[in-house]
This record gives sequence, C-alpha cells and structure tokens, in this order.
Amino acid sequence: MTEKKARYQNRIELLQGTLDLLILQTLQWGAQHGYGISVAIRNRSGELLQVDTGSLYPALHRLERQKWIKAEWRMSENKQRAKFYQLTATGKKQLSKERSKWAQLSDAIAGVLQPED
Amino acid sequence: MNFWRRKKREEELDAEVQSHLQMAARERMDRGDRSNDAERAARREFGNVGLVKEFTRDVWVWRWLRDVADDARYGLRMLAKNPGFAIVAILSLALGIGATTAMFSVIYGVMVNPYPYANSDRMVHLVAYDAHGNRRFFINLTGPQLQQLRQAASVESSAAMDEWQLTTTEGDLPENVDVVYLTANSFVHFGVPALLGRGLLPSDAPEGQDPENVAVLGYEFWQRHYGGDPDIIGKNIQLVHKSYLIVGVVRPRFTWGDGEVYLPLKLTADLVRTYFPMIRLKPGVTRAAVNAEFQSLVEQFAKETPTHFPEHFRMAVEGLNDHFVTDIGGTLSLLLGAVALLLLIGCGNVSILLLARGTARQHELAVRSAIGAEGSRLVRQLLTESLMLSFAGALLGIALANSLVKLIVNWLPRSSFPHEATISINLAVLFFSVGLALLTGIVFGISPALQSARPDLAQVMQANTRKTTAGVHSRRTHTILIAGQIALTLLLLAGAGVAMRGFVRMMNVNLGYDPHNVMAVGIPVHDNTYTTWEARRAYFHQLLQKVGAMPEVVSAGISTNATPPNNGWEQRFEISGKPMAEQQMGRFNVVSAEYFTVLHIPLLQGRIWDESEAMHGSKLALINQTLARQYFPNGDALGSELRVPALKAEPPFNLAVAGSDSWFQIIGIVGDARDDGLRNPIKPSIFVPFTIMMPQYTQILVRTTASPLRILRAVREQIHSVDPDQQAARNVRDLDGWITTQPEWEQGHLVASLFAGFAILALALAATGLYSVISFAVSQRTGEFGIRMALGARPNDVLLMVFRSAAMSVTGGVLAGVVLTITLNRVLARWIQGSSLDAMILAGVILLLVATSALSCFIPARRASSLDPTVALRYE
Repeated sequence: MTEKKARYQNRIELLQGTLDLLILQTLQWGAQHGYGISVAIRNRSGELLQVDTGSLYPALHRLERQKWIKAEWRMSENKQRAKFYQLTATGKKQLSKERSKWAQLSDAIAGVLQPED
Repeated sequence: MNFWRRKKREEELDAEVQSHLQMAARERMDRGDRSNDAERAARREFGNVGLVKEFTRDVWVWRWLRDVADDARYGLRMLAKNPGFAIVAILSLALGIGATTAMFSVIYGVMVNPYPYANSDRMVHLVAYDAHGNRRFFINLTGPQLQQLRQAASVESSAAMDEWQLTTTEGDLPENVDVVYLTANSFVHFGVPALLGRGLLPSDAPEGQDPENVAVLGYEFWQRHYGGDPDIIGKNIQLVHKSYLIVGVVRPRFTWGDGEVYLPLKLTADLVRTYFPMIRLKPGVTRAAVNAEFQSLVEQFAKETPTHFPEHFRMAVEGLNDHFVTDIGGTLSLLLGAVALLLLIGCGNVSILLLARGTARQHELAVRSAIGAEGSRLVRQLLTESLMLSFAGALLGIALANSLVKLIVNWLPRSSFPHEATISINLAVLFFSVGLALLTGIVFGISPALQSARPDLAQVMQANTRKTTAGVHSRRTHTILIAGQIALTLLLLAGAGVAMRGFVRMMNVNLGYDPHNVMAVGIPVHDNTYTTWEARRAYFHQLLQKVGAMPEVVSAGISTNATPPNNGWEQRFEISGKPMAEQQMGRFNVVSAEYFTVLHIPLLQGRIWDESEAMHGSKLALINQTLARQYFPNGDALGSELRVPALKAEPPFNLAVAGSDSWFQIIGIVGDARDDGLRNPIKPSIFVPFTIMMPQYTQILVRTTASPLRILRAVREQIHSVDPDQQAARNVRDLDGWITTQPEWEQGHLVASLFAGFAILALALAATGLYSVISFAVSQRTGEFGIRMALGARPNDVLLMVFRSAAMSVTGGVLAGVVLTITLNRVLARWIQGSSLDAMILAGVILLLVATSALSCFIPARRASSLDPTVALRYE
C-alpha cells in the first residue's frame, strides 16, 4: 500500500496544516469550488504546488466539519452545478492565526539559515 | 451516523466529484482538446476516484467504525448466499456453547458461594469420624456443652438449632409443618435480613424464661400456605393448638434446615436434649488449629454424654459446602469435561467450514486484493464474518443453555447440593459464554483469514475459480480436524456407553424386597405426648391396627427406621460367646412382624415373633443372611444371643423396654434386602420388635393392590381417628419413589442421561463435519472426476475414490479415540461405575462411528458418482 500512496504525492510535500492555510487563503478572495481552489493554488504558486485531489477533498471536508468554511451548491460560470465553499467568521480568525504562525515559522527557519555574522 | 444522512452525503460527494471532472474537462475543451481526450485527461489528472472518495469519507467518522459496519453488512450478504453453511456453523457453535454455559451455570451455582449467609466460608459444623476414618455424623451437643463451645477462642459467633415436625390444624386434617427451632441470636449469626417484618430477636427467648410465641415464616411456606399474603405480619398461626404471632418472613434464598416455620429455641440444661451447633470461626483461623482446639473440648463432652458419640472417634470441623463438593463436585467436573469436548467438536466443525469457505473464496479475495484492499482489511473482513457467526451461535447457545439448566437441575440429586443455591444463567456466566464466543470466533476465524489474505495473486487469478483442488496444506488440516472430532466423539460415546450400562445395571439390581405398591407413611409424634413406654406402644399398635383394617390395604407393618433401600441405625453389636472384632458394625432395625410380609422378604430359617411377644417387649431378634454368613459360618445362628450396647432409653424422646441393651435371642434368619443403598454390598442387619425402642417417630408401610398414594388421604383419616392432632409427614413416597430418590440412583441417572445426550450431539456434529469436508472435496474435484469418467472410470470407482479419501481421517480418528479412551479409563472409572475397557462397549461404539461416517461420506459420494462427465468437465 505504501507503494501506491507514493503515486499521489505532490512534487513538493505539503503538510496538512500548510494545505489548510492555502485553502483558507484562497477562499479569502471569494467563494470557490474544489476544482477552482486547486487551479488557483497551482496558478498562484507558479505551477509548483499541484494539490492532488486525494488531499484536497479530505481537507475541504475536514475544514467544513471544523466550521471554518461553509458549503453551498450554486451554479458556476459555465452554468454547471458545483459545491462552493466560503470562509466563515471563525474561519477568518483561523486564517490570521495560521498566517502569523507561518510568519513565525519562516522567520525562525530564516534565522537558522542566516550565515554567521 | 444514521442511514439517510449517510446516503445524502454519499450522493453529494459523488456529485462534487462529478462536477470537478466536468469542469476540468470543460477547461481542456476550451483550450482546444477534443471532448474524449479532455475527459480522459481530466480523469487521469484527478486520480483514483474511489480512493479519493475513500479518503474523504475517512474524515466523516472513525474509519474503523465505518469499516466494521461495512464488513458486517457484507458478511451478512455473503452468509445469506450460503445459508446451509451459516446454519451448520451457528448450530455447531450453539450446541457447544449452550452446553458449556449450562454446565458452568450449574457448577457456579452449586460450588461457588451458593449461600446467602454472611461470611458463609467461615461457617462450620462439627463432624465425627470413626476409627476407620469414615464420616459418621454431625455432632450434636447439650445446652451446657454449647455454652462451653461458644467460649472457645476460635469461635466468632455461634447459634444452635433443632428441628421437628408440628402440625397446623387449620384444615380438616392436621397438616405437617417442618419447624426449625433457632436460638434467638441466630438471625444475627446468619446475617440475612428478613424479607418482611423481622427475624427472631434475643427478646424472643430471654434468659431463664420460656420463649415467646412468635414465629418467622419460610418463603416457600408463606407462598404456598398463605398465597404470599403481604399483610401476614401480625396474624397468628396455630401449631399444635398453640397460637404463634407471625413477626416476619425470610428471603427466598434463606432455607436453613429447609424450615417452613422458624420458632425461637431455648437451650435447656438437661443432658438428654441435644441441639445442632452452628459456628462461625474468627477470620484467619486455620482448620487445623480449630480442630486441635475443639478436639479436647469434644473429648470432654464425650465423657459427659458417651451415648451421643461413637467410640474412638475423631472430630473435625466441616464447612457448609465441603460435603457437597466432595459429593457432587467430581461428577459435575466430569460433565464439564464432557461438555468441553462437545464444544471442541463444535468449534472443529466451524473451523472446517471456515477453512473450506476460505479456499473457495480465494478468487474473490485475490480480486479484492488486486484493486487495493490491504491485507489487514481482508483479515478484518473475514474476522468480522466469523465473529458474527460466533455471536449468533452464542445467542442461540444461551437460549439452549436456559432450557438445559432447568433440565439438569431437575435431574440433580436433591441431597447433593445446597438448597440455598440458585442455579440460573447469571452475569458471570453470561460474560463467560460471550467470552467463549469471542475466543472461538477469533481462534477459528483467524487461521483461514490469515491463510486467505495473502493469496498468490498471479496463480489464483489464472486458475479457474472452482477447479483448483485444495492445496495439500488445507487437506492435511481437514484430515487432522476430522480425525480429532472422531476421536473425541469416540471418547464421549464410550463414556456414555459405560454410564448407561452402569445405570441400567443399578436399575435392575436385585433388591431383595418388593417395592411395588408399597408406601411409607411417616408419623412424627408430638412433644410431650405418649411419654410412657406403655402409652406409646399402645399408640403405635392402634395406628397399625386401624390402617391394616382398611379394605384397600393388602397388608401394613411398622417400620420405625427400616424403610429400604438404605435403612437401620448403624450400631456396634456383640455376639455372646464369640470374641468381638474391633468394630463389629451392623444395621439395627426396629419393625413389626408384618414388615416382612409387606415387603415380601422371605423367612429362611426359624420363626418371626408373634404379637403378644412383641407387646411384651420380648428380646427376640431376626438377622439377615449376611450377618448369619459372616458371623455364624457354621450355621449355628438360631439360639445364639446378641446385643447392642448403645441401645439405651432416653426419655421422653426414645422410649425403650427395660434392659434394651442386654442380650437378645436370635430366633430366625430372613433373606437379604438392600440396606446400604443400591450399589454397596448388603450390611449385616438385625431386626427387633418395634416395642423395644420407640423414638418420637415411626413409619407405617402400607401395601395396596395398586397406586398406594391414592389412598393416602384415607390413611390420614384413619390416623386422625386415633389421634386428631396426628399428622402424616409431608413427603409420603411409595417405595419405588424411595429408590429413585437415592443419591446414587439420581447421580447415575444424571450422568447417564447427560453423557448420552452429549454423545449423540457429538456424533451428529462429527457426522456433519465429515459431510461438509467430503462435500467440499467432491465439489473441488468435480473437474477431476469428470476427466476420470471420460477416460473410462465407472461410477463405483468414483465412489470408492471418495470413500478412500475419507478413510484415512476416519481410521486415524478411531485409533486415536481408542487410545484416548483407554488412557483416560482411570479418570472415567472414578466417577462412572464400570470400566471403559470393556471390549463390547468399545466394539459397539467403533461400529456406530464407522457406520455414521460411512453414511456421511455416502451422500456426497453418490453425488460424485452420478455426475454426467460432460457436465463435470464444463463445470466452472
């Protein structure tokens, strides 16, 4: 089974918490469906982050269960029915928390990588 | 997660995935791909739809919970497709688990804390053992002796009891009431609070005064006599014309002394009246220490009242349950062993069935493995199925156990287990059987599960589903399982055969008397009535005359203590002119002359005394053949003299003729009749006229033309006409009934019936197991048979081939079974009379097994041999 799991790995590994951050951030710019979220992340990361569906949809459903996002079926641009997700109030708060955590983490790593002065 | 929400969520998830795919395809088409390519590319990029959905579902609820539900549903569907397999498996388990649970309930109820009394493990009685180490009787002590005993260091609390039969005179005929007298501190001693009202209190029997007229009712008596009247407290009950105030009712499990009514007891100081001591030891005292301490005390008591003790005795304390454990403990353990065998056979069946199914489903499992199921998932799936089978089997088993427990309790010898015991399915037993089910499910599900979960994919996928003949490994396992089943079945059958033969022998034993159409009516004489020898003699005589004069009565006689097959007081006797052996013991019987006529016991030599000799209390004796043979080998019994030194009067209870302990003349020899139970050899017996010794109790033997119990009421009326207060004892039985209530009869009956039942079940299970294996093998080899028949084999050849395949396991099983039976012979022989080494029984059992096995093989073999080769070859 481990051999099959490898097929679904991204080119760059995304930790679960980081994926949550990306999703929440993407939804900051407006409600979006699952396909749209994956496209958005891919585009904005310059084709580097290709979130596979096996991680995306579980993450979406988990975030929905934690009440950080809420879902609604609507018509998309192409007149197709799709399940649109959007941030809730608690989701917004969670997003800012995640952003500051990420900033702290990246500062910390940058500090370690800094050449000795 | 309920069903509708789950369904809705599934549909929604599916829609979401579909919409993702559509949008991805659409985007590609906008960029210029053709629709087919766009869809394919979108799908490829999405990945494995099933797995994505699976991962998403993981988020909804604990994965394992959902999987278990899925497994259970799937398992149910698979079992429903093969109902025959499921039914056989469930039944096999149910029989094994049911029987084991039932036996375990009985053992638990009887052995493990059957008493409701406080600290019942520290409650003891005093028992006397004679010089040979035989248990003689419970030691009874006088009032002053009891007071001394109470002061002993090891004693925490003590009480005393006596019992007698009184009457209620509320009906037209006096009715017997078994009364237990308890000292006023007894209810504190027992520590069981009353159900209604209160128990006896110290104020009910104050020092130096007569006890109050209060009574506490037994539960069963309260139900039976007063219909469970809840307002019974404060009413009165009349016992022998004395009115007692009812102050309480005890709980159902409080059956101390099997008393119907409990009255307060006052200990008197006189040396003739004895009481039964009940003692609770202090915690932490060892039996050895207590025995040592009491021994000197009791020896002193023996000097004070030598007639109450055997000569040269040893005393020991005995716990409440010790007697029962030795009595019935072994038998119950043996039955538990038998039942465990049955369970093993049942589990063997289930194992065979699961193994066979595992092999048949290898194709299915291989496919599932190929599309992504983990090995552990497959194991869990198979395990869930076998656990479902086990639990279904356990549920059915518990229902079976319920009925079986009732049956066993009915057959248990009444005297061999405490009446306080409640034998039923209880929580501990429930846990036991559920645990058993889990264990069998895991043990017998896991092996085929492990085997089937790692199939060699390539090989299995290429081979056809049905034509794979089962691998060598599984065939060997089948052989071992079948052989094991047959061996155990043989053991059970042999045990059953021995038990049944022993029981039948006992049923047909030569009694030496004729029990048919005779009943023994007990006459408990009231305290302080007929207190002189003359009065009591006249009373008994009058009773006998009245009953004997009844038209339906063929003959009647007095048998004070002589009702067979276990009768007489065990006493030491002396023969004049002969040196006395160390312990010359015999049974001393007190009867009227008609006794021998009523029981059809022949007079072999000499004569029986006549009525006037009896009324004068002449010291004449009859002896039985055994005594004559053992002590008068020269045939000079008639005219010799014997005496029983311990035969002394103890007025007002035991009234005896003057000089009852002096020499009696032997005037005749009667035929041997069973006097020490149905199995033991006949003991030497002495018969003297009933006027020699008259206790406060006697029995009248009544012979009628048919069904003596039908005229019981008329007999009681006759008794009533002599003394209006005199009741007959409660359980009047006919002598056939006396025999069936002998402990060895009941025990033999219990063991024989249960063993036979278990053996038959085991045979059925083993036959089913064999049938399943052969059936399965035949279906696997259908292709092979087709080829053989196409190449010229005849149907009979195919038949023989099938039989040959079974031959090895059956012969192996029979041989193993015979070896097992012979090895365990000693264990069997301890608790079943008779030896299992009897060639006839073994031969019969082997024949039965082989015949049954042949039949089990025959049916699938016939199926195989009647195959149309063309059909068989194409069989998939």
